[in-house]
Amino acid sequence: MYKLLLILKYLRKRRIAWVALLAVTLCTTMVLVVISVMGGWLEMFEHSFQGLTGDVIVESAQDSLTGFPHYQEMISEMLKLPSVEAAVPTIHTFGIINFASPSRPNVYTVGVQVMGLPIDQIGTVNRFPESLYLQHNQYLDEAKAETDPKKKQEWLDMAAAGAKQPSFKLPLPPQVYKEGWNGRGSDPSTYPGMIAGSAVLGIHRNSEGETVNRSPELYRLHINLTTIAIRPGERSVDPNDKNETSYWLADDSHTGMWQYDNSFVYVPFDRLQNDLAMGQSETEDAVTHQKHIEPSRTSDIHVKIKPGYDLAQAGKDVEAVCVRVIDSHAREDDFKYEPPTVETWRQKQHVWIDAIQNEKLLTVILFGIISLVAIFLVFCIFYMIVMEKTKDIGIIKSVGATPGGVAQIFLGYGLAIGLVGSGLGWLCSYLIVHNINELHAWLGEIFHVQIWNPEVYLFDKIPNTMNIRDIAIIIPIAVVSSVLGALIPAWRASQMHPVESLRWE
Amino acid sequence: MPKTLEQPAAASAVLETPILRCQGIRRAFRTGQTESEVLRHVDLTLKAGEFVAIEGRSGSGKSTLLHILGTLDAADEGFVEFDGQNLSEMSGRDRCRVRNTQFGFVFQFYHLLPELNVMENTLLAPMIELSWLNFRGRRAELRARAEELLTTLGLSHRLKHKVTVLSGGERQRVAIARALMNNPRILFADEPTGNLDFETGQQIMGVFGKLHAEKGQTIVLVTHDRGLARQADRVLVLKDGKLEKPVGPIG
Repeated sequence: MYKLLLILKYLRKRRIAWVALLAVTLCTTMVLVVISVMGGWLEMFEHSFQGLTGDVIVESAQDSLTGFPHYQEMISEMLKLPSVEAAVPTIHTFGIINFASPSRPNVYTVGVQVMGLPIDQIGTVNRFPESLYLQHNQYLDEAKAETDPKKKQEWLDMAAAGAKQPSFKLPLPPQVYKEGWNGRGSDPSTYPGMIAGSAVLGIHRNSEGETVNRSPELYRLHINLTTIAIRPGERSVDPNDKNETSYWLADDSHTGMWQYDNSFVYVPFDRLQNDLAMGQSETEDAVTHQKHIEPSRTSDIHVKIKPGYDLAQAGKDVEAVCVRVIDSHAREDDFKYEPPTVETWRQKQHVWIDAIQNEKLLTVILFGIISLVAIFLVFCIFYMIVMEKTKDIGIIKSVGATPGGVAQIFLGYGLAIGLVGSGLGWLCSYLIVHNINELHAWLGEIFHVQIWNPEVYLFDKIPNTMNIRDIAIIIPIAVVSSVLGALIPAWRASQMHPVESLRWE
Repeated sequence: MPKTLEQPAAASAVLETPILRCQGIRRAFRTGQTESEVLRHVDLTLKAGEFVAIEGRSGSGKSTLLHILGTLDAADEGFVEFDGQNLSEMSGRDRCRVRNTQFGFVFQFYHLLPELNVMENTLLAPMIELSWLNFRGRRAELRARAEELLTTLGLSHRLKHKVTVLSGGERQRVAIARALMNNPRILFADEPTGNLDFETGQQIMGVFGKLHAEKGQTIVLVTHDRGLARQADRVLVLKDGKLEKPVGPIG
């Protein structure tokens, strides 16, 4: 009873102990914020990347832009594998776009990465359709703002429908696109639709967290995309293979991954395949005049693996299919193509994932070492308190307290400081992590410093969620550390001679 | 060691059975190479209900003897028996229990806990003795006893006051209340008036006298003041590390 009473009294009345409390709070906050941001970053990276690719990715050997043939046969063979749920071809290349947007009034020319998507199928292998604003996210925003549950459900249904059946369909009526057309040349309303990464269009969040530059005018944008075809086996690029195609903006994609949002545009698969001369063609040998059918090509296949199957094994099975198909056509292809590379999404991104994991570990170790200072501080403060309370220790011993009882007072005191300190640290870290983007924007305004650069960290938002597992590890460590800091002072207090303690001045 | 909370038998009646006995007590303190022997083969027998004063000059070792008798210190040689049990043969925990339930201490400098108020300081001994649950169960009874003691000592208006705001005499009365809270068999008082003015000192001695006369409380008083010592039933003088009978008039 006296232990609890004294712990509570000391906690309230010994102000110096508040310094120890503050140290535990700060260290817990620091470690939890760092671990949450780093862990959130890794999770966001994994989640986002997995959302943009298949579970297994088949791509041209050495990332060759010429692509690989017989992909339809590969896909139909892959679909026979028990582990494969879906497989979709995509084309990845580089290009130049030029356009004038409301936020960039002058004609803006920029190099982009171009991805050709069979958009009606892409949702079967990844979550790309969920990144589309007009077809999905605008309905989610409406649902969020809606208070009527019935209407809210309607918005949610529309969002789900948009994500289920995404398209490159132009958002405005044909006559809008025909404005200013004099009848010569091709009809502008027949131009295909393009989806652009949101940051390519200048759409971003301001310091208040509001999205800016997403103007309706964007959908009247006439975008020219220039690409160049790379033919297999050719040593040099033929300038005649340059292709310029006009598109209208059909939608914008915000994946949250800066790398994608700032540099990717998405166009219909068939259109890009045609522009890059990757479709099926007939060639004639200049010497023998023998005609040869060049098969259509793609640069990637994204494969969705059924849940429960081992990803690495599934990847090996897919690779075996690819090798078998390429080998079976090797003679007719004149041994021109190497089998494509097959990797799981994690293998493909292992450099990044490993780097982030190592960085997370290193940061946690560094902050852990800093936290040792907190233990040392608790030790010093408790030692001071024990010295200051020497006479009190003598008094309670003279009234019959055992050495164990005296030790328990200081251990309990350390425990109380650990519990309160780590609890406050949890609260502080929760407040910081949940408002980290606003804090970042505010700090940026005050000090003109951008700590989180999306170009470096890949995401335009700092991760703001806390992992319950991290909390469940850090909080007990903080409490145990605090008790450890109190251990030696408590032992010393328990060993004090009552008479000497009473005489202490 | 079972706890005995019975009131001392008859008021002012000295029982023949010894409650505390020490024999051949030797205690020396070493400072560097020098050893100073404070107590040399001290023998003492204390009977239940007795009021004994141990008188001696400053530094004569009377406080050391009181600490050894009260288990706050250990003798280098000799033994102390309480109720026929050798205290030095007991475990540390049992000695703490004897100190908590059978002995009460009053010191010259009061030695109250500054963080606790008057009531909490008084309740310290039962708080140490009882578990949290047991204390909660007996809280009302214990508080009533503490209040009764403090009222008897003229502190009923100070129950919730911090001890730091009390006068010296009031603090010493709180210390007496704390010492009596568990109905100790023996009350050890180490220069209880040494830090008080004459009048307040007399009031405190009056409390001891009343306790002894009315409740038959066994008291061991250590003092350098021969005038205070004469208020005891028996006076012993500690001189050159040995207990002697006083020479000449003590009162």
